[in-house]
Amino acid sequence: MEEMSAEAAAMASGMLPGAGAGGAEGTTMKVVVAVDASEESLHGLSWALDNVVRHHPGASVVVVHAQHRADHFAYPVAGHGLQYVPPTAVDSVRRTHEDNSRRVVSVALDVCRQKQASATAVVVEGDAKEAICRAVEDMHADLLVLGSRGLGKIKRAFLGSVSDYLVHHASCPVLIVKPPNKAHHK
Amino acid sequence: MAAEGEALMAAERAETSTAPAAAATESAANGKPAASWKPAMVLGIDESEHSYYALEWTIHHFFAPGQPQQYHLIVVSAKPPAASVIGIAGIGTAELLPKVELDLKRASARVIDKAKEHCSHVTDVSYEVKEGDARNVLCEAVERHHADMLVMGSHGYGAFKRAVLGSVSDYCTHNAHCTVMIVKQPKHHKKHEQLGFHRKDA
Repeated sequence: MEEMSAEAAAMASGMLPGAGAGGAEGTTMKVVVAVDASEESLHGLSWALDNVVRHHPGASVVVVHAQHRADHFAYPVAGHGLQYVPPTAVDSVRRTHEDNSRRVVSVALDVCRQKQASATAVVVEGDAKEAICRAVEDMHADLLVLGSRGLGKIKRAFLGSVSDYLVHHASCPVLIVKPPNKAHHK
Repeated sequence: MAAEGEALMAAERAETSTAPAAAATESAANGKPAASWKPAMVLGIDESEHSYYALEWTIHHFFAPGQPQQYHLIVVSAKPPAASVIGIAGIGTAELLPKVELDLKRASARVIDKAKEHCSHVTDVSYEVKEGDARNVLCEAVERHHADMLVMGSHGYGAFKRAVLGSVSDYCTHNAHCTVMIVKQPKHHKKHEQLGFHRKDA
């Protein structure tokens, strides 16, 4: 996984080795939960912990966050054409992204801790949908959990492009959790 | 360790005061209403290989033999109305209709029988065949049973086929009022998608 930042490699070293080969017994399950800064993804994590992980004693949880890649080239807001971004600027952008990732991941791990679920975290870099898809494959996940915005009011709503992509391309089953006000609507 | 999610659902259930199938079967067995309540899972199936894979995967992971059952399982199959399968009326449709209807009924029964074989060790399970388009049948089953999870396979259509034939899994993912789990066959299992006509009950 050359996309992973150095931090991610350090975080991932705690990951359970090869636990996800489909599980010989019915209950060993590697559950990967994709999180970002949104409420919905945290609710998804929470729901999965309560309704899936809790019932599978051998289950392992991996929290995945996709971090934007800091590029050397950027499209400036008020300019035209491509602009070269000097290394110092790239570094500061990257550091901001990493700070964000750290925050998101720590909130997610807190949720896991509160529910007494042991979890590890992985940060992947790059385009969210492809990065998460690749991570799921590399980790041999048994299940991928995503929160969804549940855009019910809009008739022809479709899932966010990341969720939509993952449902159709992930190498494992995908579980979409609806936000609480949408679920159990009468 | 009642999580807030479950508490919310339990409250809703108390409000609606309908007796979902879970409570009925449970109280018969235990005589204790609240303690033995189980969340409901609707599993949608059809006669395709993808669907059978989804059924097997779900049973293997959520209803493993020897493990206490965590969900009340409701297996639902949609039987398309004969008229929708025949399409625009031509000559001889009137004679064709009852034959097609019978054939469809038999196909649905076969699907359920196959599912029953696989669920033989699952104690708390019910089976339903409802007439209509799979999309509506599954979402309506979720409403009726106040299900917490809807599970189904996916035919794995590409974008074009999805646009033309419509995707049941896409529809249900957006419109079912509960968590949805789509169980796809892993890529190396997938046979090359056939061109030409699939069954209408995509």
